Amino acid sequence: MSTLTRRSLLSKLALAASPALAATQREEHTLIHVFLRGGADTLNLMVPYADDQYYRLRPSLAVKASEAIKLNDRYALHPALKPLEAAFKEGRFGAVQSVGVDNTSGSHFECQDQMEHGDSMSGTPAGGGWLGRFLRIRGSEKQSPLSAVAIGTALPESLRGAPAASVLERLDDMAIKAAQGADSAGVVKALRAMYGADVTLLGERGLETLDLFQKVGALQGTPYQVENAALYPKDSFGTGLREIARLIKARLGLQVACIDLGGWDTHFFQGNATGQQAEKIRTLAEGLAALEADLKSHRANYTIMIATEFGRRVYENASLGTDHGRGFALMALGDRVKGGHVLGSWPIQADDDGNVNTPGPGGLHLETDYRHVFAEVLRGSLGLSSAESAKLFPDITLKSVGLM
Amino acid sequence: MPTSRRSLLKTSAFGCGLAALASCERITTAVNREFLGEAVPTELHPPEGQEIDPDFHLLSRAAFGPWPGDVQRLKAMGQAAWIEEQLHPESMADTACNLRAERFESLYFSAGDAYEFRKPVLRDEITRHSLLRAIYSRRQLFEVMVEFWTDHLNIDLEKGDCIYLKPSDDREVIRAHALGNFYELIRASATSPAMLVYLDGKTNKVRKKTDDQPNENYARELMELHTMGVHGGYSQKDVREAARCLSGWTFDRNRFLAMNQSESFFKPDWHDDGKKTVLGQPIAAGGGAGDLDRLVEIVCSHPSTASFMALKLCRRFVSATPPEGLVKRVAAEFTRTRGDIKCLLRLLLSSPEFQASQGQLLKRPFKFMVSAIRALAADTQAEKSVLEPLQRMGHGLFQYPTPDGYSDDELPWMGTLMWRWNFGLALASGNQPGVRVNLWPLRKSLNAGKKTSAWFAHLIGRKPTEAEFKATTATDDPQTVGLILASPAFQRC
Repeated sequence: MSTLTRRSLLSKLALAASPALAATQREEHTLIHVFLRGGADTLNLMVPYADDQYYRLRPSLAVKASEAIKLNDRYALHPALKPLEAAFKEGRFGAVQSVGVDNTSGSHFECQDQMEHGDSMSGTPAGGGWLGRFLRIRGSEKQSPLSAVAIGTALPESLRGAPAASVLERLDDMAIKAAQGADSAGVVKALRAMYGADVTLLGERGLETLDLFQKVGALQGTPYQVENAALYPKDSFGTGLREIARLIKARLGLQVACIDLGGWDTHFFQGNATGQQAEKIRTLAEGLAALEADLKSHRANYTIMIATEFGRRVYENASLGTDHGRGFALMALGDRVKGGHVLGSWPIQADDDGNVNTPGPGGLHLETDYRHVFAEVLRGSLGLSSAESAKLFPDITLKSVGLM
Repeated sequence: MPTSRRSLLKTSAFGCGLAALASCERITTAVNREFLGEAVPTELHPPEGQEIDPDFHLLSRAAFGPWPGDVQRLKAMGQAAWIEEQLHPESMADTACNLRAERFESLYFSAGDAYEFRKPVLRDEITRHSLLRAIYSRRQLFEVMVEFWTDHLNIDLEKGDCIYLKPSDDREVIRAHALGNFYELIRASATSPAMLVYLDGKTNKVRKKTDDQPNENYARELMELHTMGVHGGYSQKDVREAARCLSGWTFDRNRFLAMNQSESFFKPDWHDDGKKTVLGQPIAAGGGAGDLDRLVEIVCSHPSTASFMALKLCRRFVSATPPEGLVKRVAAEFTRTRGDIKCLLRLLLSSPEFQASQGQLLKRPFKFMVSAIRALAADTQAEKSVLEPLQRMGHGLFQYPTPDGYSDDELPWMGTLMWRWNFGLALASGNQPGVRVNLWPLRKSLNAGKKTSAWFAHLIGRKPTEAEFKATTATDDPQTVGLILASPAFQRC
């Protein structure tokens, strides 16, 4: 049964291919979700340089006021965020302070899981990942295998349950390679028959992979030329962003793109204006700046949201690093972002030592549940309606944050 | 017979020393094929029932899939005897595999001395070694458990100095205890230089008269991932207390005047020697280095550890949602035997729940690849070109960045099916660089000339459905075999 509907859907898609593309071209918008894995210390990204406590608690890790890029009389950017300074001043780049999940385990996996599933400690899990759920609310019939793409090799939990989601590292990699001289079309046909007959998730994902392969085949003929001399970092993050830009320009209906940047778990030897974390920040900033340059004539078509599972403690530990904290500064970039501000109250109101229910003393207070921000970003970028948001995050009464 | 084998080996080892490496590898292959049991048996009778054959099933889970002839051998000796044999790997000669896998020098050095090697060499050798053992070792259950513990006590080569330290961790923690005792495994891992670096225990210090805060990283993962599970009933305070117990254990390869710089050691002046309470159990002040043993005893004996490990084993060996009754029995066995890994596996593999779970698991890419190579009795030295597809499938060895290890869930592996298909198709048609496949001996033994059913039964352990038969019937054997390797049925086990 499901096979039949799938097949008929496919043939409809194929028939309707050109008019459908024309229709989506006008209003297409992509949410690019950058996940900083490991719990990023955002206190050193959006530096609260006007706070003496920050300097007192971080004798070696604080970013000096003289080295940071001042944004206003409270905050400054880490020097490695220089490439994004202009966007902040243009009002396209902004942040919300002290965002986070209510999970108190202090575990990377719990907090990432909860955040990616759009759940909370107290509520009942709504099922699937938050982006997967959103795409499903939008209606399976509107989805193609390229509606949601994760850059990398594994599907992130946030896309769990998406009607269709693809994982890829490079577009050019996407090809089914039958032996030389062998019947390539026959191989595809045989795979389609076998995966079509499989009623489990495996069969479903197999068919989606075959569909994706066909669509992407059309793009592969021409080598990709970046615009405005955009210089992507030469690592998997940079390559991934470039592939996202390419998909956005090709207008294949990409709604959600997920990309990870790992290495933020800086328990040890974190560094300040320079050092281990500074290098990560540089990759992040240079990557996003390159994407901005490359997509300069497509700025109406994307919004970038940068999140992490939790922030880190205000004070440094004895190995010149920081341990798991709670709140973090969530950042967003794009034409639809009301940037140029760091929203939320002054960050450093550390939990007191006696409170063992927070992951150790000294984490940032949690001021804004992450779901308020996620919903607002979806509203601003992909037009999440209030009816949809009630289905997406059923356990919370959403409020406006002012980021979009 | 064994004597002649041994003397033959000596000769070939001499030959290896003299000949260039490439020809040495050719000699190894020739010797293995001719004398050491790697050859395809002259007759094969693949199981052609409706359901996956029970012996094929056991070999798909307690091994990385059958090598041609394994099913027959298992049928002849019976499941119980086969399981016992596998639980005592030392009882099995593994000469053919050793010839392939025992040539990586860096794997024999101590933690401190491995710094002599360049990083690419270290990366290359440990990865190739693991792949070769999984493919060619007769001690299959041992290798399956090595993979299990490597995930459970995951260490990413790329963090800090882990690349220098993982070879000794692989040898002295993972392989030394793979079928041993869980408490001893955890104790060994806690002071393994690689783990001390990976989870920052190396810098966990609480010096007197300072306001040093302990580094909680390892203490947390010890409870969350290695023993009790995230909802195992520990509090944030327990994590801190455990970190205090562990403070002072460190590793320093430049230690001045040390007898053995390769080992981790306890630095009393970094240790918080005050009184601690972990999971409600007091640890008296002044315990020094002994705090670690107390801590390991307390967390491993906690009831959550028995259930957490039972569930994890059942998920790896039985199903993503294993029957509760089985998990409970394995947990009780864990408690009864204080973590005797052999006893847990014996119970698990001979349980009716295991028997009834054919085809319920998705092969992770490593198993997919190894089982395909084994089924075709293919010849490889596990060069880079063979490891590269594994990378694309999202399963690069020793590369998982975070301490939870590669997932046992299905979903994370579903986005890379295309690379599996391409690997299967390339392998069967002889186009996978770094692997030599010869379908002729198999075809002859299976009596399979263009017979889809025989190939299917050989690779999947049952006869094909009508749809499978139709889809995999192709113009030539390589395409048929490639399509079977790419089929949904071969992705499962």
